Amino acid sequence: MDGAAYPGSFRDLVDDRIDEGIFRVDRSIYTDEAVFEAEIERIFEGGWVFLCHEGQVENPGDYFATEIGRQPVFVMRQKDGSLGCFINACSHRGALLTPFKQGNARALTCRFHGWAYDLGGRCIRIKNEETGFSDPEFSRERFNLRRVGAFDSYKGFVFGSLTSDVPPLQEHLGAAARWIDLLANQARNGLEVVPGSSTYMIRGNWKLQAENSVDGYHVTTVHRVFASTIANRETRDATAGMRQTEAGRIKGNVPTGAYDLGNGHMSIWALHTTPHVRPIYESRDWLEENLDPVEADWILNRGRNLYLFPNVMLMDNPSTQIRLMKPISPDLAEVTVYCIAPKGESAAARAARLRKFEDFYLTAGMATSDDVAALEAVQDGSAGRLSRWNDMTRGLPDLVVGPDEDARNLGFEPAGCCPDWDHEGLFHGFYRAWADRMENGAAAR
Amino acid sequence: MSADGIDDGLEREVAALIAREAMLLDRRRWDEWIELYTEDAVYWVPAWANEEETTTDPETQLNLIYLRNRGGLEDRVFRIESRDSYASVPLDRTVHLIGNVLVESANADSVEATANCIVHVYGKKGAATRGSMYDFAFRRVDGGLKIVRKKIVFIDDRLEGPIDIYHL
Repeated sequence: MDGAAYPGSFRDLVDDRIDEGIFRVDRSIYTDEAVFEAEIERIFEGGWVFLCHEGQVENPGDYFATEIGRQPVFVMRQKDGSLGCFINACSHRGALLTPFKQGNARALTCRFHGWAYDLGGRCIRIKNEETGFSDPEFSRERFNLRRVGAFDSYKGFVFGSLTSDVPPLQEHLGAAARWIDLLANQARNGLEVVPGSSTYMIRGNWKLQAENSVDGYHVTTVHRVFASTIANRETRDATAGMRQTEAGRIKGNVPTGAYDLGNGHMSIWALHTTPHVRPIYESRDWLEENLDPVEADWILNRGRNLYLFPNVMLMDNPSTQIRLMKPISPDLAEVTVYCIAPKGESAAARAARLRKFEDFYLTAGMATSDDVAALEAVQDGSAGRLSRWNDMTRGLPDLVVGPDEDARNLGFEPAGCCPDWDHEGLFHGFYRAWADRMENGAAAR
Repeated sequence: MSADGIDDGLEREVAALIAREAMLLDRRRWDEWIELYTEDAVYWVPAWANEEETTTDPETQLNLIYLRNRGGLEDRVFRIESRDSYASVPLDRTVHLIGNVLVESANADSVEATANCIVHVYGKKGAATRGSMYDFAFRRVDGGLKIVRKKIVFIDDRLEGPIDIYHL
């Protein structure tokens, strides 16, 4: 479907009149089929998306199967140690080539007719080739797997694009790269993805998940019960050390902030009142000796959520998480969550990190389940079309255009800064990027 | 009693206890439910490590739920009863159906058993039916059996809606 199927301008769905004190989005962006189809084409299949972490494809032959938009792809570790990304379909009749989501293979052999491909995507075997094709010069080369248009990684985080008409990855990430640094640079031996994952369906639009992941304003309402539950536990059990959970941010009594990082990326932070109960705290001395002091301070003392446009969230708050999102339909998104952790951390820190993850982050946990219920309620409410707009002007008088002092000190150039994570200015950048991509099409830069 | 310590009486006792747990969850009699567990009870729902295997070591791998003592169950009940949890108001309706109860081993103080459970859940967004395999360990306390360990292999993924103690 192309934009012509939509009876207006996508830009009209974002009412951006910031000089008049207005910023709001039309609720049909969460429900409209034509909007969704254009999002798949222009955003998810028309630019960079997150694929996986390098640790998930560590050794030659390791593969990770995922999607770019609706198109199946896999990332493969080659014999020379480099990574490749290919359309996950046999060149013959199109069957998926990976039997599992993740695995290791010496070659990928199609289980339908037995055609085989090496780790570099070259077609190396056609079953009964000599008896089936009349041309003796018949070449397997024309059946090599199709590589995606662009493919790159940053600090271990792997991204791909179906189209080659994209800016370099570093340019796409822009100011957000410095926020990836805060996760990657805390691990002196690198990060690893911990075994085990959970996939859950959000019966709501993918943009509601994007908003929720960096919405500080809901924390003191939606997660009030998490804070009270944890407070009750810690009193009852006289919990000590890393088994304690940082709850200061939930009670809303700590310094916080939010950033529009440009290109649709967003982030929030909150100061930890009890940083010593965080698993990373055991690395404090190393961090302070080896990193820039401002960076070490951010890693140790500020909980952070980072949203990378359009499909991944990197959390370093109660625990550390990769949250990968796939849009399925206007009112359905699939989310898979992984725990990511510094290699070589102590057994006590690893166990504490996992327990904090399970407490908060899963739909079997005691906070993410409430987040999902909240954003599903927004999806349902958005059907009330007679009331058209979602308002995002909170904090407008305090919105800083360009970097604030914190950003300058850490070394990144946000498009906008909110001095409180209760403010909504970060969403302006998200929806401006969204409108630009929707209006300008797949080649938008 | 037979040589392996398992007799009809024990099998009936174990089946009745597992059915009673299901009844208390479906009828939201949370305090009585918690009383089925010992103070040091472990409640464990592993995550899936891949399509075919769950995680096996809670200290180093991710789980859907891993509670190291009965307090973890009390946390869940505290949150449900607060009426402040978005995901828990209104509460989903559930019906547990227990089957295939097998006592695997027994001695004077402890019993191990397996069972299957189908849970039909109805909530805000409709109905779902999901399956679990239970591994139980019981301890005999004051003549009766208490749950000292429950491992739940929840076979579903791509989960819709919250997964709390009454869904499992």
